[in-house]
Amino acid sequence: MNVDNDREHPLIPEAREQLTHGLMDRREFIRLATLLGVAASSAYAIAGVTGPAMAGDNLPFPAVDPKAKRGGKLRIGQTVGRMHDPATYAWNEMSNQTRPMLEYLTMVGPDNVVRPMLVDWWKPSADLKTWILHVRPGVMWHNGDELTADHVAWNIRRWADPALGSSNLGLSTFVALTELTGAKDAKGKALRRQLPNGVEVLDRHTLRLNLSQPVLSVAEDCGEYCTLVLHPSFVAPLSKHPIGTGPYTLAELRVGERCILKRITHMTNGQPFHYWGGEVFLDEIHFYNYTLENATAALASGSVDATYELTVEQLELAQSLPGVQILSVPTAQTLCCRMQVDVKPFDDIRVRRAIVKAADNAAIKQLVFGDHGQVANNCHVAPIHPECFPLPPVVRDVAGAKRLLKEAGYAHGLDVTISVGNNDGPWQQAVCEALRDQVKEAGINLSVDVMPEQRFWEVWNKVPFGATSWAHRPLGTMALAQAYRSGASWNETHYSDPAFDQALSEAEASINVAERKIKMQKVEQILQDAALMVQPFWRPVFSLASSRVHGYQPHPARQIQLNKVWMS
Amino acid sequence: MRHLVIRRVIQTLLIMLTVSALLFAVFDSDQFRKKIAVAELGNFGAATLSDSDYQAWIVSKGLDQSFPARYVTWLNHVVHGDLGVSIEKDVAVSTLLKESLSSTAVLAFYVFLIMIPVSLMLGVLAGMKEGSILDRVISVIAVFTTSIPQIATAALLTVVLALGLRWVPTKSAMIDGFSFRELLLPLLTILIYEIGYLVRMTRSAMADVMSSQYIRTALLKGLPYRQVVLKHALRNALVVPVTLILLELTGLLSQVVVVEVFFQYHGFGRMLFDAANFGDIQVIQAATLVAVCVAVASQLLSDIAYVLLNPRLRVA
Repeated sequence: MNVDNDREHPLIPEAREQLTHGLMDRREFIRLATLLGVAASSAYAIAGVTGPAMAGDNLPFPAVDPKAKRGGKLRIGQTVGRMHDPATYAWNEMSNQTRPMLEYLTMVGPDNVVRPMLVDWWKPSADLKTWILHVRPGVMWHNGDELTADHVAWNIRRWADPALGSSNLGLSTFVALTELTGAKDAKGKALRRQLPNGVEVLDRHTLRLNLSQPVLSVAEDCGEYCTLVLHPSFVAPLSKHPIGTGPYTLAELRVGERCILKRITHMTNGQPFHYWGGEVFLDEIHFYNYTLENATAALASGSVDATYELTVEQLELAQSLPGVQILSVPTAQTLCCRMQVDVKPFDDIRVRRAIVKAADNAAIKQLVFGDHGQVANNCHVAPIHPECFPLPPVVRDVAGAKRLLKEAGYAHGLDVTISVGNNDGPWQQAVCEALRDQVKEAGINLSVDVMPEQRFWEVWNKVPFGATSWAHRPLGTMALAQAYRSGASWNETHYSDPAFDQALSEAEASINVAERKIKMQKVEQILQDAALMVQPFWRPVFSLASSRVHGYQPHPARQIQLNKVWMS
Repeated sequence: MRHLVIRRVIQTLLIMLTVSALLFAVFDSDQFRKKIAVAELGNFGAATLSDSDYQAWIVSKGLDQSFPARYVTWLNHVVHGDLGVSIEKDVAVSTLLKESLSSTAVLAFYVFLIMIPVSLMLGVLAGMKEGSILDRVISVIAVFTTSIPQIATAALLTVVLALGLRWVPTKSAMIDGFSFRELLLPLLTILIYEIGYLVRMTRSAMADVMSSQYIRTALLKGLPYRQVVLKHALRNALVVPVTLILLELTGLLSQVVVVEVFFQYHGFGRMLFDAANFGDIQVIQAATLVAVCVAVASQLLSDIAYVLLNPRLRVA
């Protein structure tokens, strides 16, 4: 079966029109156009702005630096994990080790814009329930096979398999490839099964996703950290049978110690390997096991050339080091000090509002991240999100908080405890402690219960008042759907409001970013008014590299992308 | 002596059996199975599994068998020299154990090589004349070094020697193969504490002996001081420190956890730390067996040394 070649989505001319008449700004247009399958470079061109230079039209990589030199090995300090099954990777660092070898269908760039990778274009239907994905021709596996739509379909079906235990089933696209069976397990969890015809192969390079509900984020979901594309002959562990499409292959893995990747020159059938993504500069990529606390010191003594992440606690140390570059990027990573709406005393909205009013988000951000990061608005949509509607900043009101507490029957003070696991660093504890000091003025005695990370993950969605860190998601609707929709899998606040659900669904159905942004005002306002959380800021991601490393960019989701990185 | 050895060997086996059974029992809980699932699949991945799929996963990892069944199978494998496979690292436990133990053995070798002569000498010098200036200086320093926690010493040494003076690298991951420079910081961290401790013990043993009747008699008899110290005092004063040194083998195995984790040195301590964090039961079991072996062996060695050094016990 052939797919029509008229790839331009019906919304594109309309959007172009809006752009011309100033109804949509350029950033939004680029967003919408790339979402609808227009190559990012073309989208930037239509919008009449210079985008980040890219390696080539329809390639997801940054432009080649004319001064770039081939050769050398880049040593990166990060935790080295096992490479068992990419679909069930427990942490992002494992994907970093694998990313030079296996690749994604799409790639979300450091600018939070999604670009085509192993699929070279995609096209959603107007109702967002059917998506056509076109597999890039000429992509070769390390064993000499050509990548086909069948291979991709095999991967997508696997990601949507409820029995696999993959965190991909937290992503809307793969959830929409399943349906409820109507049965529940012993713990009351609704059982799901895969749609029989969810993934349809149309021809050698084309496949269609028939989703059970509209999904806006198919392209973004296909670039998440557990969606690295495997050869269908895959047998776990990957480290023993590595076959990928990337320019590198695994040479050595010692978990907790090192992971060495080397340029692949020949396929296993003896033929020379031509990488589809153009020139690649590094000969070898080495990951050495240094935890976040240790990596900066390791770089200081020259044991590594770059680190996975520079924590804010080590920023000062890093600034004192000679010959290094400190890089940073804004993200949608955050900490939600959230309350459960069905547990006393938080079931009284006056109590929640009092806590929110007594907090000073801007002061907490200043205290913890200084001039870095962005102040947040207690509604879990970040300025980096294309559809973020800028609500007016929340203002601290201690007198108002006291009044509310009095009305709620806590005139003589309120004792509450917040649980924090520091799973994203000790700054989380600092946030809770700052909050404790602020709400004290309103007569709220907040105690901070710091627990070990593992222990925290056992109770993160059970504690009445807890500080949960949320990872970056490219779109604003993604976290809202996972965390605040009635009955959603990670709804830790137990919040349920049909008005919010409906407003969110309406926003999710708008592929047009300008339109979605207007709809998001209502969504954000409902959530903010519900006073579910003190969400003080959006944190930046820092990384550290020696000045010999070029093109090493921090990424909002901490994905290390090394295709055009070179060493001098 | 033979009895002593036989008794100790039997004791070792009994302790190993008890400890391993206890560990198996501790790890035989739903909570630990869940911990392993979370460690393998991530929190969110594990949470996507329905109850029946979770049970199927447990079966696929062989964690569904009952405690006695798993224990007997494991015991049978161990007797045949198979320590199992690390679920965290996808590698045979025996390989892991061999590599990590040899790294720690290198560290321990240098620790003993430096610690024994330095601390015995300083301890004897201090204990020879209790209350002298030399004694005071050595004792104060020894008390000082033993009162700083090793983690603080490690941080301090890193700031001064690695980040400040840049004499040594900050970490000891040995990424380009073995390097003595990288070993220096962990070595110094352990030595600073250990030497202080042993000096204090040697000093008090020496001081005890020097104030005993027979030494006083020997001195009053007019024997030269040097001869009294070397021929009469030293041998008796060394009984305690020598047995302590041998017992330090066990102490070192637990101390290396802090030092190896701090300096990212790939030894026994780090292996144990990783395994405990992950819930990697096979590795924890094997490491425990090794620890029990080392503990009992060092106890045995110190008993033997005590007998050899103490003539009063030889007749008994």
